[in-house]
Amino acid sequence: MSPLTDEELKAKVHDGYIVESVEEMTEGYRKSLVVQLTVQADTELMSAPAYWMAARHAPSANTQVSAHAIIQDELAHANIAYRLLEDLGESKEHLVYGREPHEFKHPYGFDQPLDNWAELVVATGFFDRAGITLLSDVHEHTSYGPLKRALIKIGMEENFHLRHGEVWMKRLTEAGGEAREMVQRAVDWMFPMTLEWFGLPDDRKRHSGQLDYKLKGLSNDQLRQVWMASTVPLCERLGLNIPAHYDSATERYVQDYPFPCRYDALEKRWFFDEGEITWESVFERWKARGPMNEIYVEAFRRSRGQVSKWLGAA
Amino acid sequence: MKVPVLNSRRLPDVIAAAAAAHVSGGRDLWTDPLLSPPSDQTEATWKVLGEVLDPEIPISVVELGLVYGVACSVGIAEIELTFTATACPCMDFIREDIRDRLMQESWIDEVEIHEVWSPPWTNDRITDEGREKLRRLGVGVG
Repeated sequence: MSPLTDEELKAKVHDGYIVESVEEMTEGYRKSLVVQLTVQADTELMSAPAYWMAARHAPSANTQVSAHAIIQDELAHANIAYRLLEDLGESKEHLVYGREPHEFKHPYGFDQPLDNWAELVVATGFFDRAGITLLSDVHEHTSYGPLKRALIKIGMEENFHLRHGEVWMKRLTEAGGEAREMVQRAVDWMFPMTLEWFGLPDDRKRHSGQLDYKLKGLSNDQLRQVWMASTVPLCERLGLNIPAHYDSATERYVQDYPFPCRYDALEKRWFFDEGEITWESVFERWKARGPMNEIYVEAFRRSRGQVSKWLGAA
Repeated sequence: MKVPVLNSRRLPDVIAAAAAAHVSGGRDLWTDPLLSPPSDQTEATWKVLGEVLDPEIPISVVELGLVYGVACSVGIAEIELTFTATACPCMDFIREDIRDRLMQESWIDEVEIHEVWSPPWTNDRITDEGREKLRRLGVGVG
């Protein structure tokens, strides 16, 4: 454990100091980093079953290979983050197989079923972009050396996922007809879902250990702006309707709907006309987790038994 | 496909800089097409291919050693291309990027990509420049 106090360590990392091992951390730093890495690892892990369900609808063998490559990347990224957690004294075994479904910390978006190819490609276009937004910020600003280095490979691979999303969104919208409608329907629920993922607005944000310990650089609202700065022009170019626009007077992107607002998971639908709801009720929905949470966690537990059996037979 | 991240929209510097990382495939790095046909079209085609980046690693398909041969005359560019693996998930994107970049040139009317699997691609095919770039990116090459 670090001989420094929390305040001394905070000042030191803001001066550019890079932490390399758990011995240099205060307990506060370690805890904040554990939370950050757990969210990161769980997000990568839970994207895999969500994407896998949708990859079954791939239009050809070749496109399914691409989708499976993305899923394989996500599992590898999850492994990297869980491996880093082991250095901090956590158990990968417990984190992956020992927790109850509601104890996972991935965003609510990955508790939703992805029902068709259009939903998969919008997920790689929107959700993976949110991943890049968050992780590039961590890569640039984090004071934890091992994570900074690990994110180089992760960033490159995530860019391929983003490319996959963009190219396929373009192909499907250009095809027109039902294909375009399917993309629009996916965008309708996934656009607000991704913006919600970035969390509380800055004026409501409780004190953030992650900023104090320099585990990230940008605030929630800034990250939301970064995501919209590339997503909104993409959708505009493809002629997709989105509830956000650029405001030249304030030089920022603005959401055109009550934020946050109510979501019905079974209908995959946001209720803009009901007006703004409280963040407390959003937290309640997140905490209760979404429709696929238990099914996805159960799938991992089952696979553990199968893998042990294969290894035992070898 | 180049995503116009910034268009003419003004954004705070910190937002614009972070959003620039979202441009995938490196198309923002493509230079403008030549104004007039080059004297050596094959050589010019090699040069243009040098701007087409691998979808995952920011080095070009030439530096990665994917291009086995180029011939270009009378506006027809023929490319002998391999991939790092037969189940490479990026094949589609690489073919598309090569075609799109070459077709930007006024002196190229047609792009023919011939896939070649022999000899198979190995790490040894990465050029010295490619290796140096990878080393700087923190990617080890055996």
